[in-house]
Amino acid sequence: MEVSIEKDIIMTSENTEKNESVNVQKAKISVKNTKVWYGDFEAIKGISMEIQPNSVTAFIGPSGCGKSTFLRLFNRMNDYVDGFSMEGKIKIDGANIYKKKVHVEELRKEVGMVFQKPNPFPKSIYENVAYGLKIQGITDKKVIDVRVEKALKQADLWEEVKNDLKKSALALSGGQQQRLCIARTLAVEPSIILMDEPTSALDPISTAKIEDLIFGLKEKYTIIIVTHNMQQASRISDYTAFFYLGELVEYNKTKSIFTKPEKKRTENYITGRFG
Amino acid sequence: MENANYQKELLNQAGLEMMSLCISQLGKATEAYLNNDADLAEEVIYTESHVNALDISIEKNCERYLALYTPVAKDLRFVMAILKINIDLERIGDHAYGISKYVVDDEDPTPAHLIEALQFEKMHATIQDMFDDIMDAFENENVKSARKVFKKDKILDAINMEAFSIIETEIKKDIQVIGKALQLSSIIKKYERVGDLIKNIAEEIIFYKKAELLKHKGKKK
Amino acid sequence: MNKIQINRWKDQLFKIWGIACTLVGLILLVVFIGDILIDGIMRIDWGFVTDLPSRKPEKSGIYTALMGSLWILGLTTIIAFPIGVAAAIYLEEYAKKGRFSALLEINISNLAGVPSIIYGLLGLEVFVRILNLGASVLAGSLTLSLLILPIIIVATRESMKAVPSSIRDASYALGASKWQTIWNQILPASSGGILTGVILSLSRAVGETAPLIVVGALAYVPFAPGNPLDEFSVLPIQIFNWISRPQHGFIENAAAAIIILLLVTFMMNGVAVYYRNKWQKKWK
Repeated sequence: MEVSIEKDIIMTSENTEKNESVNVQKAKISVKNTKVWYGDFEAIKGISMEIQPNSVTAFIGPSGCGKSTFLRLFNRMNDYVDGFSMEGKIKIDGANIYKKKVHVEELRKEVGMVFQKPNPFPKSIYENVAYGLKIQGITDKKVIDVRVEKALKQADLWEEVKNDLKKSALALSGGQQQRLCIARTLAVEPSIILMDEPTSALDPISTAKIEDLIFGLKEKYTIIIVTHNMQQASRISDYTAFFYLGELVEYNKTKSIFTKPEKKRTENYITGRFG
Repeated sequence: MENANYQKELLNQAGLEMMSLCISQLGKATEAYLNNDADLAEEVIYTESHVNALDISIEKNCERYLALYTPVAKDLRFVMAILKINIDLERIGDHAYGISKYVVDDEDPTPAHLIEALQFEKMHATIQDMFDDIMDAFENENVKSARKVFKKDKILDAINMEAFSIIETEIKKDIQVIGKALQLSSIIKKYERVGDLIKNIAEEIIFYKKAELLKHKGKKK
Repeated sequence: MNKIQINRWKDQLFKIWGIACTLVGLILLVVFIGDILIDGIMRIDWGFVTDLPSRKPEKSGIYTALMGSLWILGLTTIIAFPIGVAAAIYLEEYAKKGRFSALLEINISNLAGVPSIIYGLLGLEVFVRILNLGASVLAGSLTLSLLILPIIIVATRESMKAVPSSIRDASYALGASKWQTIWNQILPASSGGILTGVILSLSRAVGETAPLIVVGALAYVPFAPGNPLDEFSVLPIQIFNWISRPQHGFIENAAAAIIILLLVTFMMNGVAVYYRNKWQKKWK
């Protein structure tokens, strides 16, 4: 099932030639007719979509609609799941990430991920952020120090923890832990950040902080966020994709989806009438 | 929150733009009427399309803000107020358009003694005064300025009430002025309505700031 | 109302029954330890620990047996710990889920239940005779390592399983390889549990007698072992030996040796409990 965004966002090649003045951005991620199976169960039923760079794209849909599975395709986190198999092409910056030659470890440095529950390592705050750098083989303490500080500042956490870098990350509050997880991801300097319901375990204030953070980060990163909270999708995303039963029902600018959805099912879902 | 606040500020700016545009429209229309300046009247008529476009864009943006940011409490009242103020302003724009139409359609100037007799200049000055108050109230979220408007509206009402009998006597004096007198009378009616609209706007601003409803309160007393 | 009262009454009854059952074990242990203490506490002095065994009970000490036990303990740790943990890592992280790994798992669980004398016979055949190590400390340690390997493997796997999968995900998502994830995250996070398992299995090894008798540990060794190929004795065998002598003095000696053996085991269990608590706290 193919869903294309409004014409003013994605220009096909013939349109580009006619309208050179329009700022055309090349898609950061392009997915072509991708299907995913877990054993016999077809979790993703042939989805094609393009994700725009430097924007926030929200995936919404009822539980079990495949949005998380789809998200995890982008950093190949499904590879470890028993019975996982997929077909189709997923290209990031034009390169197919499911080619045999691709090193998953390299891919994941480019595509970071933040999870549903804050999951800091049971180590110090500093160690948490430095971990991604250390496993890359960076040993120069000065380099690590600089990048740890930069990442914590980007994640809006530096002021709160700068004097307690040696403290255990588990002593932080839930919201701080999640921002630490974001900092940890940023330290590796990816270009894409995947977020799987990053605020579902947090209180409203922490949620607002993370949302502001996400909104600010899109200048430099391409962000994809899976969320159960439709208001969250509407507040922070530029594009919204609605998934239902492994299919991409509708994909459009967020303001269009939330004011004038094209599909009945989308409207029913965002107005809370089913799902 | 930052994004929502930014969007809210954009709405606020659009509201302010609409307000100053409509105020200037009415000012120019009145000036055109008093000086019988058809060119200026044409300008007002031409600018009316801007007012309509801005009206539609504000309405759309309000819808979007409601849909995307699901505001509550003060933020909700803000959008509701902007929506309603926008309607009021658009009407003011319509009245300016109507007055300009008279000027363009009818080339003869209105006799000065009629304008004098009907206290139209005073009405105009009062409206301008009310505009200043309401602009200040909107721009600086100043409830005090908003409250000043209600008293001034009474001056307009009084002039409007007297206008009927004055016109009657003027027509009896000189039957020739009947056309112009009726035209001026309808302009005065329009002005009176503009006063009411400004009052509505003041109510909306007070509602947004203080969450108190002033609507229909006066009538019960 | 009546029904509720009956239920409460049943509740009380079961509580009392439970207390009684718990006390049976405890009281027996207290009686036993008390008895031993009365018999042996007077006999313990520095000389008892440092003296070599002798034909006269009052001159006899446990030096060789204690040193034998310590040698066995050390060597068994060196052999069993890395092998057990490595096997557990393989089974838990690398082995593909399939019929073969299922078979392996069942076998390992079964091995933990095999009587220790069987291990002794295995050690006698493989280490003492085929590898020609003789009745040495090394042969004994290898035999005991076999005995405790299944316990270490099971304990290690359990504590690795207890590491939340979110930690694994987080590490992988940052671009870590499997080995980096295991070495940097999973092993440190499960170290408490692994240590607990290892210590508990070692304290079992310290108390083992049967396999060592089969392998050829002697009751009377006139010197403490100086290298892994020396002959040796261990505390439980020394105790067994003394108990079977007729003289009353040796009975006292046995009681005193039991106290020392219990002390060693309790201390090891204490350390294990300490690590377990520390480890559990980490995840709260």
